[in-house]
Amino acid sequence: MLGGGGGRRAVAAVLRRAAAGGRAASGEGQGQDPDPGQGSGSGRPQPLEPSLLRFLVCPLSKRPLRYEEATNELINEELGIAYPIIDGIPNMIPEAARTTRKKPPAEGSKQP
Amino acid sequence: AAAGLCPYRALLARRGGALRALCGSVRGLAAGPETHFGFQTVTEAERREKIYHVFENVAKKYDVMNDSMTLGVHRLWKDILLHKMNPSPGTLLLDVAGGTGDIAFRFINYVRSARERQLQQKLKHHQNLSWQEISESYQEDKFKSLGDSQVVVCDINKEMLKVGKEKAQHLGYSEGLSWVLGDAEELPFDDDKFDVYTIAFGIRNVTRIDLALQEAYRVLKPGGRFLCLEFSHVSNPLLSRLYDLYSFQVIPVLGEVIAGDWKSYQYLVESIRRFPPQEELKAMIEDAGFFKVDYQNLNSGIVAIHSGFKL
Repeated sequence: MLGGGGGRRAVAAVLRRAAAGGRAASGEGQGQDPDPGQGSGSGRPQPLEPSLLRFLVCPLSKRPLRYEEATNELINEELGIAYPIIDGIPNMIPEAARTTRKKPPAEGSKQP
Repeated sequence: AAAGLCPYRALLARRGGALRALCGSVRGLAAGPETHFGFQTVTEAERREKIYHVFENVAKKYDVMNDSMTLGVHRLWKDILLHKMNPSPGTLLLDVAGGTGDIAFRFINYVRSARERQLQQKLKHHQNLSWQEISESYQEDKFKSLGDSQVVVCDINKEMLKVGKEKAQHLGYSEGLSWVLGDAEELPFDDDKFDVYTIAFGIRNVTRIDLALQEAYRVLKPGGRFLCLEFSHVSNPLLSRLYDLYSFQVIPVLGEVIAGDWKSYQYLVESIRRFPPQEELKAMIEDAGFFKVDYQNLNSGIVAIHSGFKL
């Protein structure tokens, strides 16, 4: 069972290896708990500064990201991870990223 | 050193697997090799964690403490950094470990005045134009009071960014300014993007300075400039003793009185002593690939500005 800081770091380590090897992250797709400040109670999330999208890439793979308006996240399709945007500030720390898939590449569905 | 780490171990023990990683530098390769936290010896993972907590705790009092500890002189140091940078309108700045926004706000002020001067110069040449033509030229420049200059503030600490963002709102900074939560050792920015990279009083808190320097090199455009403002080493022996006295006797006390946090400011003064001196940092910057690396001492080396170029 992944727990706390140690668990997130382990996932981040897996993602780093995957990014380096050019393969998507394998197996362990347990959705990380989203930051408590986000979502439910906070009403409309602040929009991301549009000019930032020019510069932002995934810190692990340095590849472009897709902005998903519905969940207010920045998605790296290849690695299957999503970076949250909280109060208009994108959280680009790998340990904070949510994995979006249970299974390797072929699946396109996201975690509920 | 072991005794000093005990309370932290107890705290972290609740995180299950993390304890195993922290318990042994012998076994603890998962947590990373040994490094320092002030004068303590810790693993890399512990160090990152502790530093995160230091800034989490001091965030709200950060600016007040800077003013108290340096008697306001830090403001001059930062002004000097901006003058050295001398950004022209249209410059893209990445301010790493920029937390509460001091450098970013100064940058915006600087390019705004530079832009005003630019526009005034333009007007001088328009003296024989009709009012119609002059008002049209105003329209074009209407949305460009910064002349397309932009600053991205990147910091690893949520609390520091929060304070910075609130400050920006309070002081009326919005245009050309964005905030990103990111790691200096693993920047979420594409290659060859920025004109200037600054890190003011931040590189001391980075665990792998070599990685941060490599990332700085990566994200700068060719021709881009690296600028680092940081506490450094005082060679003058008399001044050095006075500085030590002030650092170790006064600063932690100020920390306790103003921020209610002796330990964080103890860490601060210790980390300054542990940080590489001017020449060593210069060598590290050169190792990352920068050219024309140089440094300028301020206040006899209490602070130094290192500069390098990506060619």
